[in-house]
Amino acid sequence: MAIPNDFLNVLINKLGEEHVSVDPLEKLVYAHDLAALPKSVKLLFDTTPDAIVRPESAEHVAEVIRLANEYKIPVIPRGGATWGFGGTVPVRGGVVLDLTGLNRIVHLDEEHGLLTVECGIVWEDIMRFLQKTCWELPVYPSSALSSTVGGWAATGGIGYGSLKHGPFIKNVVKATAVLPDGRAVMLDDNSDPSLSQLFGSEGILCVFTDLTLKLVPKSEAERPFMASFSSLANALMAAQEVLRLTSPHSLVLRTFGFTRTKDYVNPDAYFFGCFTGYKHAVDKYYLTLEEVVNRYRGYLAPEDEAGREWEERFYTLRVKKWGPSILGNEFIIPVPKILDMVGYCWQLGSLARLDVEVEVMFVSRDRALMFQLFLCDERKSIRYLTEAAITKKVLEAAIKAGGKPYGYGLWNFPFMEAAEPEKKRELESLKRALDPQGVLNPGKTIGAELALGLPLPGRLYGMLMDGVWFLRKVV
Amino acid sequence: MLVLPKLQLEDVFACAQCGYCMKRCPVHYFLGWESESPRGKVFAIKELIKNDGRVDEKRIHRLGRLLSKRFFNCTFCGLCREVCHVEIDLLELWSRVREMLYDHGFVPENVVRLSEALRLSKNIYMMDNASRTDWVAYTGADVSFKDSAEVVYFVGCVTSFSGRVQTVAQAISSILNSANEDWTLLKDEWCCGHPLVLSGATREARALAMHNVEMVESIGAKKVVTGCPGCYLALKHEYPRLLGRKPGFEVLHSSQLLDVYMASGKLTVPKADVTLTYHDPCELGRISGVIREPRAVLQTIADALVEPEYSGKESICCGSGGLLKAVNPSLAESLARRRYGMLASTGADVIVSACPTCVQTLAQAATATQNGKRVVDISELVAEQIGLI
Ligand SMILES: Cc1cc2nc3c(=O)[nH]c(=O)nc-3n(C[C@H](O)[C@H](O)[C@H](O)COP(=O)(O)OP(=O)(O)OC[C@H]3O[C@@H](n4cnc5c(N)ncnc54)[C@H](O)[C@@H]3O)c2cc1C
Repeated sequence: MAIPNDFLNVLINKLGEEHVSVDPLEKLVYAHDLAALPKSVKLLFDTTPDAIVRPESAEHVAEVIRLANEYKIPVIPRGGATWGFGGTVPVRGGVVLDLTGLNRIVHLDEEHGLLTVECGIVWEDIMRFLQKTCWELPVYPSSALSSTVGGWAATGGIGYGSLKHGPFIKNVVKATAVLPDGRAVMLDDNSDPSLSQLFGSEGILCVFTDLTLKLVPKSEAERPFMASFSSLANALMAAQEVLRLTSPHSLVLRTFGFTRTKDYVNPDAYFFGCFTGYKHAVDKYYLTLEEVVNRYRGYLAPEDEAGREWEERFYTLRVKKWGPSILGNEFIIPVPKILDMVGYCWQLGSLARLDVEVEVMFVSRDRALMFQLFLCDERKSIRYLTEAAITKKVLEAAIKAGGKPYGYGLWNFPFMEAAEPEKKRELESLKRALDPQGVLNPGKTIGAELALGLPLPGRLYGMLMDGVWFLRKVV
Repeated sequence: MLVLPKLQLEDVFACAQCGYCMKRCPVHYFLGWESESPRGKVFAIKELIKNDGRVDEKRIHRLGRLLSKRFFNCTFCGLCREVCHVEIDLLELWSRVREMLYDHGFVPENVVRLSEALRLSKNIYMMDNASRTDWVAYTGADVSFKDSAEVVYFVGCVTSFSGRVQTVAQAISSILNSANEDWTLLKDEWCCGHPLVLSGATREARALAMHNVEMVESIGAKKVVTGCPGCYLALKHEYPRLLGRKPGFEVLHSSQLLDVYMASGKLTVPKADVTLTYHDPCELGRISGVIREPRAVLQTIADALVEPEYSGKESICCGSGGLLKAVNPSLAESLARRRYGMLASTGADVIVSACPTCVQTLAQAATATQNGKRVVDISELVAEQIGLI
């Protein structure tokens, strides 16, 4: 879609030229997120923004949204663009709102361990800032080196530390957000709408502009661990036992493919993580871990090696080097279903002649975040498209097993009805109430839209993907 | 029509678009837009090439000028490569793209002028190359021009011509003398060619490399010493590629030479009651891996050596690399001020680097602040402390 010159002129007048870009190269590079879009999909949507705005303040954000409402122009919030579900990709042009300029630390309440930051700040900058204090972050995503705080509030919110401290939402006390009508509001448990209603709304209901995070006192001790096993089943049982007997900060289990770059003793599966807290507790947990690993005939890596793996925790996509592309999906799954799900992934993989790999990040003793991926090559367009259909199959199985997608965005929206019907109703009614004009991140999460604003029914989308999966056989 | 070599082609597609490079890029830090980030640039390349690596000529002609602006807004500091999730050799990629832009005539005017200057005068300042050794007279250094010697001191354009840092040449000469080295200057040194490589004019850099290597080899020197990390990178790493053979001499940076001299007792330097901080030049530290040696030298001669925020392989560029100063001086200045701020806030008395260009750049940033700190090159500091200059 083309945006009226009028709109652009007012925008530039209000924000200043340096905050607005219509440069063709800029539009090109803002037309995507982490995932490589198959060429055929690009034909369905108008992924190129008409303009990009880099606001400097919450007032700027409100101004852009107010104007967008006036002119009915889509606004697509964007943080680090590290989410792979198409949340920051325009579907019918509009304005991409790059929030990374709102990156200040607003206030540290040293006494109570509360930190207020602007939404576009990257986690790593908070970590650096906290080094000089006696506090640390309870939770952060494994993309902490480039993703933003606002981006995590708008998406899943499960990451390192969630096992011990809960999901991100449990660690935010309040936030400020701009609603789709341009109003700036304070959000907490008692506000209307409440913080939890808008948390995880994938940029379709509000733009978070600042957040107040809970911190935890720095741990006295930190002891990373890593153990490899000759079978996934053993690794999984050992991990569950570790969860039952100890309280790790994080525990992540991976299959062989993730270890491609490394040379482990037992290459089938491994887990790694970290104990944090008081030294005596950490040491006690470590002894228990040793005993469990032995019991399941695993190999406990030397601590320096475990330390290196822990340092590497932000580099989960190293394996892409051999792709050059990857396709995958993420879902929350009951722990007892993990083994079945991995088995199913492998089965699909062997049908498609692909090595499907799995990472499991435990969220609690009975729930885990599962990330399934395989290497592929986006340049082989038709094959790539058929392979994309695998991710849909996996998701369907996960939902049947009592799981749910870890994010909807543009790619997983048809699954919300089956996985979380109540959440869908709530989001739909909030969307109607807060954004009647549909300006904020349209065509995502609760329903898709094609280039000209035509709706794309979830069922049709599902049928298309099934067709593509069928096409696989022909290809 | 440029074909992106297989390795770079795979790399472009392997880029995870994770943005780790973007977060660290010192240029993106100031400009903020996605197209000014390494990640954005890789994506732009991906959109501009076909699956087999051939360039989409139509797109290049439409976007060439815009691309050129982005690809030359880069200091070639290599931090993006250092943090890359999938270990892409981004510096190599940037070089290929600059070559492509050069071949298509899409390089900034100042870069064209620079390569013109180099072609005609063999130095980056467009000066008569015969005046390259005028610094000897200005500084009163004790040097010689021999037909045969063990060591050649390769001075480099910046140190030779730029008044502020000619003392670096004086210092290195005096240190070589003090260590009783059998050394010489080249009678006709030409620019090392690194600026041409950075311009994308790799083919033209070859002529300069050939000349310099022939000069050194005709002297029969076994070692070439230079105080300039750019020259060091060119002589040591770029020449073998440009010439298709390994030159018959070893290349040492002055900081490595100082480390060897001091460790072997060839040079004794008294300890000074001073706190130093060290700025790693990108081309020396991160790119060439010379990180330990300058620190070993400084730890021996100073009371204390404090590390700034971001050091060693993580060091942040002072803004003088990659021809940024020529292309976008105000941006280069912003980078310099930021880096100077980090160094000054260590509380050190003196800021040391091992690169005449970094020293010059940071010293300029220092003068722009109140109570700016002293910025010196490591060889100047050592020579001063022994009383050689
Ligand atoms: C290597 C790697 C590791 C990862 N690990 C994890 C992990 O451990 N846990 C996890 O949950 N995810 C993970 N992710 C996915 C992703 O990084 C996270 O979801 C992250 O929080 C997204 O933040 P972002 O700033 O990149 O958001 P973006 O990708 O820019 O945006 C994501 C969505 O949020 C919306 N949005 C962005 N900012 C705002 C805002 N201020 N207000 C309202 N809406 C907004 C966008 O419109 C979009 O729909 C990982 C990704 C990578 C590449």
